[in-house]
Amino acid sequence: MDLRKTIIATLCVIAGLVLVFPSAQPVRCGGKLSPKEILDRVDDLFRGISSHGRMTMKITTAHWKRSLTLEFWSEGKEKSLIRILAPKKEKGTATLRVGNDMWNYLPKVKRIIKLPSSMMSASWMGSHFTNDDLVKESRMAEDYTFEVTFEGEREGHKIVEVTCHPKPDAAVVWGKVVVTVRRVDYLPLNCIYYDEDLYRARTMIFSKIGRFGERRLPTVMTVVPEDKPNEKTEVVYEEMTFDLDLPPQTFSLRSLQR
Amino acid sequence: MIIRLAWRSIWRNRRRTLITASSIGLGLTFAIFFISLSEGMYGQMIDQVVRMQAGYITLEHPDYRDAPAVDLWVAVPSEIRTEIEGWPGVEKTKLLVLGQGIAKSGAGNMATAIMGVEPSVEIQSSPLARNIIKGSYLETHDNPLVVVGCEMAERLNLRVGKKMVIATNDVNGMLVEELCRVKGIFKTGSEEMDAYFIQMPLGFARRLFRMPDESATQMGIILKNPDDQRRVLRKVQQKVSDFPVAVLSWQEVLPELASYIKMDKGSNYVFQGILIFLILFTIFNTILMSVLERKREFAMLLALGTRPGQLRLQIFTESIFLGLIGCSLGLIVGSLAAYLVHVFGIDMSTIMGESINISGFALTSKMYTKISPGIFLGSTTIVFIATMLLSLITMRHATRLSIVDTLR
Amino acid sequence: MIILRIAWRSLWRNPRRTLITVAAISLNAAILIVSYSLMEGFKEHAVSNATNLVVGEVQIHVPKYLVDRSLYKSMKDPKAILSTLDRHDVPAASRSYGYGLVACENKSAGALFWGVDPTAERNVFDLAKHMGEGTFIPNTPAKGIVLGKKLARSLNARIGSEIVVVVQAADGSLGNELYSVTGILKAAGESMDRTAAILHQADFSELFVSGGRVHEIALNSKGKLALDELATLASQVAPQAEVKTWRQLMPSLSDMVNMFDAGIWIFGIIFFLAAALGVMNTMLMATFERMREFGVLKALGATPWRILRDVAVEALVLGFVSAIIGTMLGLGVSYYLMKTGLDLSMFAGDYSIGGVAFDPVWRATIRLKTVVTPVVVMWMVCLIASIYPATLAARLNPVKTMVRV
Repeated sequence: MDLRKTIIATLCVIAGLVLVFPSAQPVRCGGKLSPKEILDRVDDLFRGISSHGRMTMKITTAHWKRSLTLEFWSEGKEKSLIRILAPKKEKGTATLRVGNDMWNYLPKVKRIIKLPSSMMSASWMGSHFTNDDLVKESRMAEDYTFEVTFEGEREGHKIVEVTCHPKPDAAVVWGKVVVTVRRVDYLPLNCIYYDEDLYRARTMIFSKIGRFGERRLPTVMTVVPEDKPNEKTEVVYEEMTFDLDLPPQTFSLRSLQR
Repeated sequence: MIIRLAWRSIWRNRRRTLITASSIGLGLTFAIFFISLSEGMYGQMIDQVVRMQAGYITLEHPDYRDAPAVDLWVAVPSEIRTEIEGWPGVEKTKLLVLGQGIAKSGAGNMATAIMGVEPSVEIQSSPLARNIIKGSYLETHDNPLVVVGCEMAERLNLRVGKKMVIATNDVNGMLVEELCRVKGIFKTGSEEMDAYFIQMPLGFARRLFRMPDESATQMGIILKNPDDQRRVLRKVQQKVSDFPVAVLSWQEVLPELASYIKMDKGSNYVFQGILIFLILFTIFNTILMSVLERKREFAMLLALGTRPGQLRLQIFTESIFLGLIGCSLGLIVGSLAAYLVHVFGIDMSTIMGESINISGFALTSKMYTKISPGIFLGSTTIVFIATMLLSLITMRHATRLSIVDTLR
Repeated sequence: MIILRIAWRSLWRNPRRTLITVAAISLNAAILIVSYSLMEGFKEHAVSNATNLVVGEVQIHVPKYLVDRSLYKSMKDPKAILSTLDRHDVPAASRSYGYGLVACENKSAGALFWGVDPTAERNVFDLAKHMGEGTFIPNTPAKGIVLGKKLARSLNARIGSEIVVVVQAADGSLGNELYSVTGILKAAGESMDRTAAILHQADFSELFVSGGRVHEIALNSKGKLALDELATLASQVAPQAEVKTWRQLMPSLSDMVNMFDAGIWIFGIIFFLAAALGVMNTMLMATFERMREFGVLKALGATPWRILRDVAVEALVLGFVSAIIGTMLGLGVSYYLMKTGLDLSMFAGDYSIGGVAFDPVWRATIRLKTVVTPVVVMWMVCLIASIYPATLAARLNPVKTMVRV
């Protein structure tokens, strides 16, 4: 199993991240939202017709610490391209994902490798994102039932806490997921995943709300696994443009090698 | 006349007769028991593995062997299946869906080999079903329930009733995920099996892989008697010749086990040969010695005018009697011993621990004999004929003696 | 001394009977020696086949390394351990392991990379000789790679094929490199066949940016040292490490060897019984035929005790002579079977048990017990089988014994 994990770690690298982050709808401030609407908002926060941007990913593990600068493009849910800009040693390494297929370009040896699709179904491990975060096609609203479990002030913020219980037949490993959003604009603060015994398994923290064009978003996202408290992955968005026109050859093997 | 004479003659020295007959009889006993045991040893192994896997005869997609994957499924119409089940010699048939995937829980994920099975068939034969340590084995044909091994349960922090998500590629190569719950946890003692295999009802496996109804990656045929394999295989081949289906023997499906068994069989032939030699030598010795010790008696008979031919005939008749007595004794005692071990088995767990696993298949640690009239009658015939030949050889000594010298 | 000479002379009074008896005992003893040596050979053969290929008799790792084979669980000072072992004259090889992906044209698969020292592997293990195609990687690093049989097949790789390798290096970076296939292994067990990708240790260190990390040291004295001696030595040499014997490393093989043992036990009992039956019947008959003689002796005033003693001494002498002949014969045949072996390939081609590939030539193994046990047993049976009828004779009325026959 570790074999698979490591491979994913190595290769799927950032393939799906794009899916999670880019794009969002303009925020409709004011009116009170139902728990489902809150979750939909969180889900849609980073989604859009297309996106292009730059981000830095800082990964801390027990053995190493590194920082990657990445440029990404995405279109819909199906297509994404990620290229490493820094560090120098890995510059030009790129990953293309179209639907279920995934390719990697390795500039050092000037070769493209196609990943067996079975590899993608494993979790993504070099950082602390799981595959669910990366290529998940279902939306929270479809897999969970929700209730607001807290509304009020906590640590100086007015917040709403939504607890999500997976539907009995949903393909979800968690016991429950607790999402906390700001009362004022429903931007997420954190998201805590509990396992089936309702022990905390993983925490995602959203911070540093910033603005990219029309959208206000948390620009830093941190994942901390509960069983390894000294490890974390931090993603910082530096630039991002939504809903732009991308030339059709953006997601081709040719552009992968460029 | 000669028969009466011979019969009386062999009982004149009861002790000698008993020793000779016991040489033949006990020798045959050992031969029968040894051959039954050595044949039975791997018969048991084959049977267990074959029952758990895809039967003595396996029907699958012609390309499946080269690239095992769920998209190479076969669909054998249920009429044909029912017909095959009705054939003499066929115990039952089973459908299997074998695939690969990833088992996930909140605690992590692991690669897994997925076996979609028919619980009603499997519960009698699968070592997994026999070794459930928590919960219970699968029951119905399509509930999203699985049994997992204890090693996997530990690493994924699973208990009976807990959730598990299985991610895999369906027959079209699409990524799919299904939720299921743990029905039972097994412990076979084989690390590979306990960490890698999961079993689920066939219907759920079909749903998971998006396979059509009635389809399976394998249809296995379990035989009442493995010796019927070739005959049934040919019959099945004729029956399904219109379908794009490959009909394979278990030797083709499990080549590693087959060659191990062939090799073991090879060494057994060597031991069987040595043992038969040992036994025949003993018989030869006793016969030779009894003839030599009776030289005086033979010389006397010859001196009294018995013709050498007549004497030889009498001695030969005596050997026939001895052979018959010895062989029937050996056949009775040997078969009885073999039968007892066939029923009760020799428990070797004291010598070697709980279970053994060869090529990843956990087996029970009891040794059984194979009961087959071929072995019993074959060994008996060999020993009887050999006894006759040996007595012919020794007979020369009896009649070619110098009367005067011997009697002096 | 006199008793022995008398016994000797009386044995030769009926040379034919004595010869038959000697032949029976010695041949039975010889057959027992040969079959026992063959059975032992079968078992030891299985073990040495497995340990000589790659596993070795004992392995040293950092504690818990084998649980997840983490790249970071490497040994502190492998060079010191290797040189200490060398001073103790124990052959050993060091290896590094790491997971990654291999690709050949448009096929790709996961693999476990092995960083090996080809010189040590060639000297200590059989892996370098276990090639299905091509050759093992050369002793100097040259970006060569050797693949497991099934891995090569799933990649469609042949000798000379270019292999792209991608791994996550020890510093978190993406290690990638091109190698060319120098060889493809023969079947060596399921997991090696499916995942092994063998590199030179120096190439491995470069690929994984691992600074020469070593994860495993495998010791193989090829039977020179007993398993527990070797394990003790290993734990002395590497005190903090985890020392495992092949029995712990390959439990299924260990189980199988135990099964052989059990089988040998049962087979052995049958063989011994059959041989004992042969000796006993021959001996019984030989002694019963002498009833008349005993009767005469008794009539001449011999005490029962003397008859018993004479018979016993004769049996001992007979047994001794037969034991020598039997041992020589048995040793001769066993020696031949040890050197040349029986080729079982007519029964089976390549095969593997519990993930270990086997050589189809079956050789006998001569051990003290495989020679002594049969001889002692035969001798005892011979003695018992002669004393029992002699006791009868000694107790019998001399007249009666003489009248019979």
